[in-house]
Order: sequence, then C-alpha cells, then structure tokens
Amino acid sequence: MGMKRAALAGLATCALIGSAMAEPKTNLLSQWSEGSDAAALAKLGQMFTAAGGKWQATSIAGHTANTLAKLRSDVIEGNAPPAVQLKGPEIAEWNATGKTANLDALAAKEGWDKVVAPELLPVMKPTGHWVAVPMNIHRINWIWGSTEAMKQAGIATLPKTWAEFNADCDKALAAHLICLAHFSQDWTDSTVFEDVVYGQDIDLFRKAFVEGDTNAMRSPEMVKAFTQFRLMVSKYMDPGIAGRDYDTTTGMIKNGKAVFFIMGDWQIGIFTAAGMKTPQDYVCAQSPTDWGKPGFILNSDSVVFFKQTDPDYIAGQTLLAHLIMSPKFQTVFNQTKGSIPARLDIDLSQGWNACQQQSQAALQASIKDGALVRSFAHNMTILQKYRGAAMEVITSFVSNPKMTPKEAADAMADAVDSQK
Amino acid sequence: MTLIVKTLTAMEPETPGWRARLAAWTPFLVIAPSLIASFVYVFVFSGWTLYISLSDSSMLPSYRFVGIRPYIDLWSNLRWKIAYSNLFFFSGFYVVLAMLLGLALAIAIDQRVRGEAIWRTIFLYPLAVSFVVTGAVWRWIYSPDVGIEHFVRGFGWSDFTFRLTTDRNLAIYAIIATGVWQSSGFAMALFLAGLRSVDPDLVKAAQIDGASRFRIYAKIILPTIAPIFVAVAVVLLQFAIKTFDLVVALTNGGPGISTTFPANYVYDLMFQRGQINIGAAAAVMMLLALAVVLVPYSLWLVWRRRREGRAYG
Amino acid sequence: MVDAAYEAEYLAAARTEARRYALGRIGVYAFLTVFAIIYLLPLFVVIANSFRQLPEITRNGLIAFPRSFSLEAWPRAWSHFCVGGACEGIHRNFYNSLLMTIPATIISSLLGALNGYVLSKWRFRGSEVLFVCMMLGVFMPGQIALMPWAFVLGHLHISNTLQGLVLIHCVQGLSFTTLFCRNYYISIPDDLVKAARIDGAGFWRIFYKIILPLSPPILIVTVIWQFTGIWNEYLFGVVFTDGAQQPITAALVALATSQMNAHAYDVTGAAVLIGAAPPLLIYFLGGKYFVRGLTQGAVK
Repeated sequence: MGMKRAALAGLATCALIGSAMAEPKTNLLSQWSEGSDAAALAKLGQMFTAAGGKWQATSIAGHTANTLAKLRSDVIEGNAPPAVQLKGPEIAEWNATGKTANLDALAAKEGWDKVVAPELLPVMKPTGHWVAVPMNIHRINWIWGSTEAMKQAGIATLPKTWAEFNADCDKALAAHLICLAHFSQDWTDSTVFEDVVYGQDIDLFRKAFVEGDTNAMRSPEMVKAFTQFRLMVSKYMDPGIAGRDYDTTTGMIKNGKAVFFIMGDWQIGIFTAAGMKTPQDYVCAQSPTDWGKPGFILNSDSVVFFKQTDPDYIAGQTLLAHLIMSPKFQTVFNQTKGSIPARLDIDLSQGWNACQQQSQAALQASIKDGALVRSFAHNMTILQKYRGAAMEVITSFVSNPKMTPKEAADAMADAVDSQK
Repeated sequence: MTLIVKTLTAMEPETPGWRARLAAWTPFLVIAPSLIASFVYVFVFSGWTLYISLSDSSMLPSYRFVGIRPYIDLWSNLRWKIAYSNLFFFSGFYVVLAMLLGLALAIAIDQRVRGEAIWRTIFLYPLAVSFVVTGAVWRWIYSPDVGIEHFVRGFGWSDFTFRLTTDRNLAIYAIIATGVWQSSGFAMALFLAGLRSVDPDLVKAAQIDGASRFRIYAKIILPTIAPIFVAVAVVLLQFAIKTFDLVVALTNGGPGISTTFPANYVYDLMFQRGQINIGAAAAVMMLLALAVVLVPYSLWLVWRRRREGRAYG
Repeated sequence: MVDAAYEAEYLAAARTEARRYALGRIGVYAFLTVFAIIYLLPLFVVIANSFRQLPEITRNGLIAFPRSFSLEAWPRAWSHFCVGGACEGIHRNFYNSLLMTIPATIISSLLGALNGYVLSKWRFRGSEVLFVCMMLGVFMPGQIALMPWAFVLGHLHISNTLQGLVLIHCVQGLSFTTLFCRNYYISIPDDLVKAARIDGAGFWRIFYKIILPLSPPILIVTVIWQFTGIWNEYLFGVVFTDGAQQPITAALVALATSQMNAHAYDVTGAAVLIGAAPPLLIYFLGGKYFVRGLTQGAVK
C-alpha cells in the first residue's frame, strides 16, 4: 500500500505541480443508480478507497435527462463536478465549452493510445487531447434467445439473417409464443431499429446515423428498414410493449413467454443478476445481418473530468483516471456489467461469460473487416439534438400503427433537418 | 402614508425625530425583502428566459443575440406541436371534469349525509400525495401486467383488456383521469365550503315557493357561488399548465411521444439536449399560455372589485 | 267526508315524497361509495402491498386480496434498501425533507403573514400593483426558474445544500402565502386597526395584539399548503442536491422508476407510505380547518 501511495503521489505531481501533498478525493456523477450498474460502480469506489482516496458518488436515478440537468446546473453554479459519466458527442460538446481537464500527461505516461480500441480514440480525444477515459465497450447488436421458448417453438439456433429471423418468428407465433420481447421507450425502440438498419446495410447506417445525412434517411433503403421494423412491431412483438418496464421484459425471456430479445450486452449483467446462465437459460448471438460477417455496434461508457481548483480534487482526478484505465478495474467492472474492457490487451479466457468472449472476438474481427460502427441509439455518433429528433420519429413509428415506412423515413429526415 | 406620519407625530409630539420616521417606513421595510425576492423571481427570471430564447445558447447559456430563430425551430418541431396541443386538450378535460366531479361530490355531501368528515377526508387525501407518488402508483394500476387487466382476468374473463397507458390515443386520458383523481377533492372542498356559505333563508324562501331541489341549485345556490367556480378554475388551470411530475412518473411522455407536455419538453431541451435557447423559447410559450389564463382573470377581478366598491361604497 | 278524501290524498302524496326521498338518499350514498372506492383504491394497493410478500405480489398482481403477510418491507425501506447507489434505505432522505420543509414552511408563512398585513392594513399608493406582481409568482412554472436559480445558488455559495432548497421554496412560496394572508386580512375590519392606532399602537404592536391572534385559520392553510407543496416537490430536489442531501421525493422517484432491478413492489409500497405520511398526517389533522380557511383566504 505504501508503495502504491508513493507511486500515486508521484503521478499526481507529474500531472499538476503543487498537488503532491494533496489528499485525493472525488465525486463521480453518474446515472448508475441500480442493479448491476450500481454494483459495478461500487467496485470502482472500493478500489479508489483502497488506493487512499476519499470516494463519493452521486448517482441520479431516472432518465439521463436528470443526470445532465444536474451537471448543467452544477456548471452554471460554478461548481462543476470533478468527474462525470458522459458519452459520445457530449464529451466533445463539453470539451468545446473549455471546462474539461486535460489528461495528456497521464495518458502519455501510461501509453493509453496504444491499448485503447482505436474507434474510441476520437471520442475520448475530441480535439486531440485526452479529456475522458473509457470504462468499457458495450456491444449493441445482440439477439438473446430463451432456451426454453426456442425449444418449444422448434428453433435450433439463433437467426443469422433478417429473413431467418422472420421465419423463426412465424414458428414462434405458431407455437403461441411472443416472438420478440420488448418494452417501448425511445432508446429501446431505437436500439432495435439501429440493429435492423445495420444488419441490412452498413453504408446506410454510416451515412444516416454516423454522419447524420438526411438524404440517406429519406432513401428507399431506409424505407426498407422501416418496413422490416413495422413487421416486427406489429406482428412479432406483443401489444403490451408500451408502459412495460425492463424488469418485466427480462422476465418474459426467463419464463419462456417470449423467444427473442434484442438488447445490448448489459443484458448479460441483468441475466446474471436474475440467476440465469448461458446456455442453460439463454443463448446469445449477434443480431441478424444480411451480409454474413461479424459486426459490432459499439457503445462505451466513459468518465469526463472537469477543471477543478481544489488540489485534493485534482489529485483525485489523476487517481481516478489511473484506476479506470488499469487492467484490474477494466476486468472487475466489466465482468459485473456484461461489457468488455476498453483496453484491447486484456485476456478474456478466464472468468468471463461466453457471450463476452464472443464479443471480444467480434470486436477484433469487425475492426479488421471495417464493419465496426459506433451506436447511434446510445449516443455515440451524432449530436444529441439530431439524435433526439430522429429517435422521436422512431418511437412514434412504434406507437403509431398508421404511420407508413415511407412517412417515417421522410419524417425522420425532416425532423433532423429542422434542427440544423 | 403621510396621514399615518401625521397621526403619529400628533400622538407623540415630544419625539418626532427618527423614531416616527422609522415607524412610518416600517411597512415598506417589512415588505421590501419579499418584494425584491418576488420581483427577481418573477421578472428577472422570466426576462432572463426571454432573452436566452433569443440567443444562440446551446450547451450553456450564451448572450449572443440571434433573434427569433429559436422560435422558428421550436414551431417546426413535431414533438412541441404535440406537447402544445396536449396542453390544451388536457387542460380542458382536466379542469372541466375535476370541477364537475368536485361539484357533484360537494352537493352529495351537502345532503346532510352521515359521516361527513370521513367522506370529505377520503376525497381530499389525494391532494396531499405528491404527483410523483400518484403517477407511480396509478402506473401500476393501469399496467396490463400487474394492474386492473390482470385483476379482472383473474376472475376468468381471460380476454379482458384495459390498456390506457399503452395506447397512444388513450394515454392522455390516463393522465386526465389521474389528474382528476388528484385534484377533484380540492374542487370539492371549495365548493362544499361555498355551498355552506349560501344564505339558508334564500333557500328556505325558494322551498316555500315550491321550487324543486334541482331548480334551487341551478337558480339560487350555484349562481351565488360563481366566484368560487372562477377561483377553482384558475387554480386548476395553473396546475394543468405546470403539469410535469405526473407525466414523468405516469407515462414518461409515451407511448412514443404522444403524452409529451410543454414542461417536459422545456426540461428535455434545456437540460438533456443542450438546446437551451429552444427550450427557453418553449418556456416563453408556456408563459404566454399562462397569460391567456391570467389576463382575463385579473381583469375580471378588477372589474368585480370595482363593482363591489360601487355596491358598498 | 271531505276531510277523509283530503287526508287520503295527503297521505298518498306524503308516501310518494318519502319514497322519492329514500331513493334520493340511496342514490347519494351509492354515488359517494362508488367514488370512495375509486379514490381509496391506490391507497389500498399501496398499503396492502407493503405487507405482502414479493413473490405473492408478482404471482397474483398488485390488485388482489392479500394472501401473505410480512413486515419485512418496512425496515428494509427505512434503512437497508439500495436507492440511488447507496444501501441505506430512505431514512436519510426523510430527515432531509423534514430539515428542508419545516424551516421553509415557517419562514414563508411568517413572511406571508407580514406581507399580507402590510398589503391589507398599511396600504400605500401602488400597493395593489405590487400585490398583483407578487401574485404572478404563483403561476411561474418551475422549469423556467431552474437555470436562473442555479446562478443564484452558485453566487450565494449555497449550491448543493439544504439551505439552498429552503431559500428557493421560501421565495417561491411567498406568492402563495402572501396571497392567502392578504385576502384573509382584508376581511378583518379596518376600524379595529384604526382604533388601535389611535390608542398609540404601532405597526408591530397591532400585528402581535390584533392580527396574529386572528390569524390561526389562515396560518393553518398556509402551513398545510406550503408543507405539502415543499415536501412533495421533486424537480429542485433532484437538480440542486447530491446523494446524501437529496429529499425524499428524489429517493421515491429512484425507487418507483427503477428499471433494471426486479420490481420490489413491497419495499416501494412501504417507502411510498413513509414518504407520503407527513403531508397525509397534516391533512388528516388539519383538513377541516384547511377547507374552512381556504374559502376565507383564497376565494375572496
């Protein structure tokens, strides 16, 4: 411990002169208030305390809006939190306000550029300087199958293409099962829809959801994606999707009431917490693609550091960033949360779930094939205002059976255009 | 004020100095902090919001003027249009239904029923419960998985459906119903007190003339308590325009975006989306909606006061 | 003979009248009973579920006659259950809410009484206009004030404290309390005050000796109104305080909107009841006076 403290004190000195004597403390603002998220966060707190820091966490429950409201009012109050869990383009936006701290010294010392997944670098370094550290890599394009329900419906393996998915769903309906478990909220509707778009056409995904090109949103390809989505919503999901909550939806897979569930890999953490194991209770595969290669829609949670004047907080930031990037944290945290490490140099062969191992293999393969994309639904690509406008259309499409695929595609393009 | 000073100096001719002056100024001094605080709260805050709504503020407030562009953006947004029309739809139904139900309950209780205090408490207690709790609990009750639908199906009616919150066309009625549940007790309480304040001789005279009970209410009692109607309507309307927590807890704006309300939209844009100027523009539109309610009400109050002044003066 | 015919007719009329009366009574009670059931349903659901065992709730649904009994949910809700990342139950939030609500209620009620006194008994040129301006505060939507309040709290260095919330609730409550008190004091005869003034009583003396003793009915209204309003407020509590300082509503929202965890209906039920208890208690105790005072204060 003494060694570690000395080493940390050294780190703090090199990050900021005059903070060598500081006692590191921090207050991490996040939206991880429950379940496996909170458990994973608590692990970070334990490590921080063990390293001699004073740990405090502010977890805001409910919608992300509450966390962002808290952050915005804190900044306006002149009281910016030392560390905040923020994502994607928001990192760049906050960086542009000039209120974020610079982590370049620590990054150079620990060689982050060499170990972090390349797709994450532009997000963490919006202007070429490190302002955020990634905690994990989530994969969005997953389909989960209920082992029991699949057996009942006579489905042997998870579907590989959307055509297979539709065929399997018809089998499920014939067996009087719900094919696709779902609960309708803007982000869940968008999660499923982005998997459909990605699985049909990577180029369309890149143009529409990464570049925010409204012509691509209006294109016949997008209409085709909405057509598949309409089929799924009106036929393969049950009518109770609105107003259902996450927990009940997980229960539908657990009880074998529904066959499939399309959701990101935090679902592993939730299944584990519900006492479910793979492959006895559930199976996993990448969500259907029509182009037959490993694909990866990436989402990453990260922590951004805001400039502080209190040397204790500054020392705490250095310590926290160091800990988050450490192989030990990346292992412990992600084993609990269901994601995989943001560092590519960690071996997942021991102590990891089979789905997580599959995730890491897919990540490396998709980097090689150029199939890796960042998630639109989980706020890793376009600005929040465009994303929000597009998501409003997707979620209205789900709740309004009268809206045609063509109308939806046009409405999405119009909504994003109107924000420009 | 000069009159008071004169009286005071007349009373205490031996100490006309600072004490008298202080005494004369006391009312001002007492009310000044509250006045300043209220002034800042009402005018400075609204003024600031108005200015921000004409600026290029995005992530954080900025003071660069860009004119009415945020308003154009606002009114080209589908979700905002839904929110604004929801507000009018909701306000209309909520105010009318809460008042009708409140009035009906008040009249029923006014029939010299037994256990009046118990009835009154039953209908009034929802007012003490926060919107957050109200929304959360009713959300359970409306939920097809554990609520009314589940309950009725338990009796063997297996295809019974009760899905207010899961249908985009019906979810707004769930909010209306829950809002009415929460507030009708308030209307009832005021109406009941109003009914009790009607001069019993008036009613007796009408009874002797052979007027029916219905006629007595319609022609004598209700007109007498007309001011209460207006007061209840204004209080309920301002509740309606501020609707926020209830929606967050009950439907969170869904299904889809069908139950978005202006306050939710303002909160989302200002705090989540980083479009502070458009959010501020939406807030100004809310203030305008309030003005639509308030200006006629204030005029009516002034008019009534003048008339009373003449009657008694 | 004539008398008998007349009497029969009278009796028949009386009988119809009595039947109509009885029917009317049944109608009134039926109407009240139906609505009482609807009004009590949520309360029943919450109370019943706080004493049921969770597996039984999930099996039989929320609206069901309790078939299991457990007291376990209550201590868990109070001191063990994990909310917002900390596993301390809601007791701390409950105390926070008391520490915030009680001072804010007292201060805003007293200031409201003083303001009402000035605006009704010490009127000056323009006081009516000032009154209308203050009244506008009643109608301000909270979302508009959120960002300006952040500036104010930051400049006063009371961000993330309960004092900050007390300040906000005092200022926002002033409009209500002033409105109620002024409208109530208007009905106190001016002659009473004039007479006291002639007797040499000053501003404060009149307030203590005349106004305050007459005030309980309206102060009960402002206290109930402010207490419930502040206790139940959610937005400012969430935005302007951190974990350990958060009021009860923030914890309740965290519990009730819980998405990932298995829904702990039993614990949530108990927490909701604990969180709603203080305002409910105040309503049950003071409801009668509230209704009476409200009509005297608000409706004038």
